[in-house]
Amino acid sequence: MTVGYSAEHNELRQLVRGFLREKSPSREVRRLMDDQRNRDDAVWAQMAGQLGLPGIVVPTAYGGAGYGPAELGIVLEEMGRALLVAPYLATVALAGQALATSGDADAQERWLPGIADGSLTATLAVAEGSGSWDLGEVAASAEPDGELWAVSGTKLFVVDGHTADLLLVVARAPDGLGVFAVGGEAPGVERAKLDTLDLTRDLASVTLRGPLAVRVGADTDAMAWLSWVGDLALAALAAEQIGGAARCLELSVEYAKVREQFGRPIGSFQAIKHKCANMLLEVECGRSAVYHASAALAEGQPDASIAATLAYAYCSRAFTNAAKECIQIHGGIGYTWEHDAHLYLRRAKSSELLFGPPGRQRARLAELAGI
Amino acid sequence: MTVHHQATAPAAQPDEEFRARLREFLAEHHPGRPPKDPRERLAWTKAWLATSFDNGYAGPSWPREFGGMELSFAQQVVYHEEVARARVPGPLGTGLGIAAPTIIRYGTQEQKQRWLAPMLRGDTVWAQGYSEPGAGSDLPSLRTTARRAGEEYIVNGQKVWTSHAADADIFFALVRTGTRESRQKGITYLVIDAHAPGVQVRPLRDLTGGHLFAEVFFDDVRVPVEMRIGEENDGWRLARTSLGHERAAGALNQAEMYRRVLTELEELARERGQLADALVRDRFVDLEIRVRVIRYNAERTIAGILARGAAGAASSISRLLITSFEQDIHEFAVDLLGPAGLLGKSAPQAVQRSRWLVGFLRTRASTIGAGTREIQLNTVAEQVLGLPHDPGMPPR
Repeated sequence: MTVGYSAEHNELRQLVRGFLREKSPSREVRRLMDDQRNRDDAVWAQMAGQLGLPGIVVPTAYGGAGYGPAELGIVLEEMGRALLVAPYLATVALAGQALATSGDADAQERWLPGIADGSLTATLAVAEGSGSWDLGEVAASAEPDGELWAVSGTKLFVVDGHTADLLLVVARAPDGLGVFAVGGEAPGVERAKLDTLDLTRDLASVTLRGPLAVRVGADTDAMAWLSWVGDLALAALAAEQIGGAARCLELSVEYAKVREQFGRPIGSFQAIKHKCANMLLEVECGRSAVYHASAALAEGQPDASIAATLAYAYCSRAFTNAAKECIQIHGGIGYTWEHDAHLYLRRAKSSELLFGPPGRQRARLAELAGI
Repeated sequence: MTVHHQATAPAAQPDEEFRARLREFLAEHHPGRPPKDPRERLAWTKAWLATSFDNGYAGPSWPREFGGMELSFAQQVVYHEEVARARVPGPLGTGLGIAAPTIIRYGTQEQKQRWLAPMLRGDTVWAQGYSEPGAGSDLPSLRTTARRAGEEYIVNGQKVWTSHAADADIFFALVRTGTRESRQKGITYLVIDAHAPGVQVRPLRDLTGGHLFAEVFFDDVRVPVEMRIGEENDGWRLARTSLGHERAAGALNQAEMYRRVLTELEELARERGQLADALVRDRFVDLEIRVRVIRYNAERTIAGILARGAAGAASSISRLLITSFEQDIHEFAVDLLGPAGLLGKSAPQAVQRSRWLVGFLRTRASTIGAGTREIQLNTVAEQVLGLPHDPGMPPR
C-alpha cells in the first residue's frame, strides 16, 4: 500500500487541514489549554457529525468510516500540526482501536457507535507508577463479581483519563491479563488531572476502588491483542509527532525568511539554512517511517511491530529536535509565553516519553530486530 | 462531508513478465565472479556491457533509438532490482549517469549517433572533467580555457578528482570560453578525446593510499568544434541535465546494499561476543533505524514518482542520509574492533581484509564529492524550503 499519495488520502488531508485551520487556531488552543475540559464540545460534535473523524477506524457496521491505521495517521498528522486540544488520540487511537481489534462483538456493539457519533469519549489505561506501558508491569487487579468484575489499582499518565466517559483498564484477573471497561463516573472511580508539561494534552491519575466493570475481549489472547494495540498506538502517536515536527519546520522557515538581522534575512545565513535543512531531513525520514509503519499495520505485515516501534523512536527524536530548533531559530521571541514554539516543545517532549522512556523503545527494537 | 471508506483501486503491478525475461537473461549470460587483476577486470566488465547491450538489456531509461530500453519508471525500478540481485558489473565511468542525459537532450543527431551507443556498450569509457584545483564547491569559477581557433578549440588547464581517468577514452568537460569573470555565463560543454596530443593523466594518490582519481592536464589540446555540446557559453545549463528519475529508480538497491553491510557487521559483532554490551547494542539500534529509514525513504520516493511523476522532498535528502550513514557505520565498525580495527590488509591479524578501515577512510569522500554536504544543505534549504540566497555569494 502506498500511504499519503492517493487522491483519497490527499482529499482526507485537505479536509482535516481546512477544518482545523478554522477550528483550532492558536487562540483556540490557548483558550482550551487553560480549561479543565480538554475540548470544545461544538468542535468535537462537528468533527463527528460533519467529518466523521472519531469513527475513522470504527467499522462501517457500527457507524464508522471503516478505515485503518493509514487514514488515522493522516488525520493525526494534521491534528499534531494544529496542536488540536481534544481527546482524539485517547478515544480513537487508543480505546477505539483497542475495541475495533478486540474481536468482542458485544463490546463493539455497545461502545463503537457512540465513539463514531461523537457521543462517547474513551481512553485506555495501562501505565501505573513507573509510567511503563510494558504489560508485565501491570499491577491493577480484577476480581469476578457475578457477571461483572471489580477492578482495583491506580493508573497513572492516563491520556485524557479525567474526562473520558469510558475507561478501558488493563488489569490482572485470576486467569491472566484482561481489559475491563469502567464508566468514567462509576462509583469507586477517583480521577484527577495531573499537573504535567504538555498544556495541550491532559494526563490523569485514575484510582479504582472496586468499581464494577465489563470484561472486554475475554475470548481473545490478551497479550497478543494488547501488544498489537500498543503497536497501533505507537504508529498513531508517531504520525501526530511528525505533523508537529513539520509545523515547527514551517514556523522556522517562515520566520527565517522575514526576520532580518545584520541587514538581511537570517534565513540567508548558512548556519540557519543548515539547521532548517537538517530539520527537513528528519521530518521527511520520519514521514517515510510513519507511512511505512501504517501500511505495514494495515496489511498485517510481519515487520509491522518493528516498523511501528521504529516510527515512534524516530519521530520522537525528530519532533523534539524540531521543537528545540524552532525556539533557537526564533531567538528571543521563541522564548516567550506568547509564541507557540513552547507549546510544540511541551507536546514533543511529552509525546516522546508518553509510552515509556526512549531507551525502552530502542531496547524493544533491538529485541524485535534480533540484534 | 463525511469520510467514507471506498475500496482502493488495485495498485499498478510492476511488469512481472518483464522481470521474468530479464531474470532469465541475467541467469543465462551471467559473467561470473570478477577477476582480481585490474586489467582483466576491465575487459571482463566491457565484455558484460557488450553482451547486455547486444541483447537489448542496457540503458533502461535511454531512448530505443540509441540502443536504450526506454522503460517506464516502474520497469526501471524492476530493472535495477534485478541487476543488483544478479550482481553483474555496473556501468563503466561516469558518462552514462552524467554526460548521456545532456547528450540525449542537447546533442545534435550526429553527436547522438556517434557517442551514445558506444558509451552504452562499454566500447568507450567516459570520464568527467569538472572540478579543478581552484574550483570545487565554487565550480562556476573554473579556469580551464578553450580558445576558439578556426574550426577548433585550443584547450589549456587542469582538472582534478577525475575518476576512471586512466581507462577513459573521452572526457566530458566544462571549459571557460568567456572572460575570467563570466562565471556560469562563460562556460562551454566540450567533449575531449582522451588520447589526443597534449592530454596527460596523472594518477592522484588519495588519503586511502589508492589511485581511484587522477589529475588531467590539457596542454594546447586541439578539439574540433563539432565536439561541443550545445551553444558556446551555454554549458552550465546543459551540465545540469538529468534523465527523468533514473537515479531514484535505483534507490532501493542502495538501501538493500547498506542493509547487507549492516547485517554483516552485526554478524561480526555477534561472533566476537560484543552484542551483549548494551552500549554496542544501542549503536546497532541507531544504525538499524537509519538503514530501514533509507529504505522507507526510497520506497516513498518511488511511490511519489509513480503516483504523481514528481520525486518530492523525500528524494532531496536521500543523499545526505546515505553519506552520513556510510561514514558512521564504517567508523563504528573500526571502533568495535578496537586496535584490531587499525590493521591494514597485509597484517596477518587483519579482520575481514581490513574492509572497515578502508571504508572508514574511503567514506571521508562521501560528504565531499559530487557536492559537499554543506553545499547540499544550502541547496535543500534554498530549493526545497525556499530560504533566501546568501547575498554575499555570487548568484546561482
